[in-house]
Amino acid sequence: MIKRRRAGQIGVELMMIVLAAIFFIPVFYLFVTTFKTPDEATLHPMSLPENWSFANYKVAWDVMQFPHVLLNTLIVTVTSVGCIIIFSSMAAYGLARRNHGFHRVLFYLFLAGMMVPFQMGLVSLYKLIMGLGIMDSLWSVIVVNIGSGCVIAIFLFHSFIHSAVPLELEEAAFIDGCSVWGTFWKIAFPLLTPVIATVAIVTTLNVWNDFMNPLLFLQSREHNVILLEVFRNIGQFSVDWTNLFPMLLLGVSPLLIFYLFMQKYMIKGVAAGALKG
Amino acid sequence: MQRKLGREFQYSILIIPALIFYVLFCVYPFLTMFYYSVTDYSVAQMTNLSFIGFENYTKVFDNDLLMAGFKNSLLYAILMTVFQTALGIILAVFLDRKLATKNILRSVFFLPAVFSPLVIGFLWNYLMSTSDFGLINRGLNGLGLDKINFLGDANLALYSVVLTQLWQWTGWAMVIFLANLQGISKDLYEAAEIDGASSWKKFWKVTLPLLQPSVNVVAVTAMIGGLKVFDIIMALTDGGPGNSTQTIMTAYIKTSFTEGAYNEGAASGVVFFVVVMIITLVMMKLLGKWGRNIQ
Repeated sequence: MIKRRRAGQIGVELMMIVLAAIFFIPVFYLFVTTFKTPDEATLHPMSLPENWSFANYKVAWDVMQFPHVLLNTLIVTVTSVGCIIIFSSMAAYGLARRNHGFHRVLFYLFLAGMMVPFQMGLVSLYKLIMGLGIMDSLWSVIVVNIGSGCVIAIFLFHSFIHSAVPLELEEAAFIDGCSVWGTFWKIAFPLLTPVIATVAIVTTLNVWNDFMNPLLFLQSREHNVILLEVFRNIGQFSVDWTNLFPMLLLGVSPLLIFYLFMQKYMIKGVAAGALKG
Repeated sequence: MQRKLGREFQYSILIIPALIFYVLFCVYPFLTMFYYSVTDYSVAQMTNLSFIGFENYTKVFDNDLLMAGFKNSLLYAILMTVFQTALGIILAVFLDRKLATKNILRSVFFLPAVFSPLVIGFLWNYLMSTSDFGLINRGLNGLGLDKINFLGDANLALYSVVLTQLWQWTGWAMVIFLANLQGISKDLYEAAEIDGASSWKKFWKVTLPLLQPSVNVVAVTAMIGGLKVFDIIMALTDGGPGNSTQTIMTAYIKTSFTEGAYNEGAASGVVFFVVVMIITLVMMKLLGKWGRNIQ
């Protein structure tokens, strides 16, 4: 009985490894093709490259103006995620500690954002962005990210503050004459670290991979983010396809590197963000 | 008393920054969409808008592009919801056994979820191509099978898109199911074993009912995300061939920004909102019913 079970266990393991290997083929293919010439890629698509030439990367790097678009993407992501964490944790604290009357209405207003497809307001949003004079500036994407990213963040912070941040410490701080503002930053905020990590991971993935807002609000090449540059180049250079693959890989490389080092935390963060949200 | 009121006010102040961004960039555009949907707002008429009644709504239902978008998005979202949930559960149940390579396998399956759907779309465009560098068709040829025109055949294209997205998101669903499974007490399985339950029976009677919270999350997220699908379409098919992979978002953006019919786009947005609300409420009701049946 035990022997049979062990054999079954090894069978399942082998099956899963084969499945994972098949799953991995597209990523492997993407990786090896970036080093090949078009001829080599057509003849031996799945083999390792004959020589690990970075010539394709050099071309893609220059064509994409990679440092420039990387910087733009970093500015958008860091500003958006930073503001989302600060504004949402503040709001969630205010909503969690005073949960009646007007605050309750506001909480449901934020909650509605989980279901209502706000993207459908793009026509009006477009007009608003023009009216504010931030069209074709990184700010357009940043402010929209903050507005839409607050919803899930507030929800995660709110449930964490409710269940895991003790009131007693705060009461003591009030007796010592501390203001709400001071109590939040000195006592509550430091206790939020685990959920800050979750929010940071979930919103970074959303913001970094967002394509629709940059497509609509950023027109000039000077203000391109990575994905927009990939999109515009692929349309223009579709002939020499081995030069496109380094572009795709460069496009995902920052998140990929982050994932390689932080996979455990990222997977944990995504699961926690989903199950508590 | 004075101080107490002050403190109440201080709590409210904390909410203001998030509220401003949320109302200004989500709620306000959403609400004004209802207004634009009954006006003559378009590229030709940017100011001095006038009320034209429900004309735009009749146009929406006569518009092939938008109607194809509704039909395709609905089919796409249902397929994604069903398969992502089912395949995610299967993967999670197998990975939940004490496998030596469990962590590596989990990382491999989750990996595609880190990439942007746009990049995934361009990559699969090459993988599914019928030309010399289409890896999948070369494989089929090698096996002596006919080539499949995954993205060029109007009857197949939407299913091909679903295939790429299942590849991308099943690992994401699996991770959520796994987190749920790890919270299930082993005692329940031991009790079932003492009762002589087979593995099959244990899955249906113990595992699946306890997975209810994560099934809720994955199914609702997949459904809402599926209805809003955009990036992958832009990279894989751009809505074609014909309108066979046009989705609500691609049709909405084409109608509004390429054709400049903002009012018609806004009207389709209102219709979409109603569709999403109905589907979400029905789904939550069904999932809630299932949850109550278990208890």
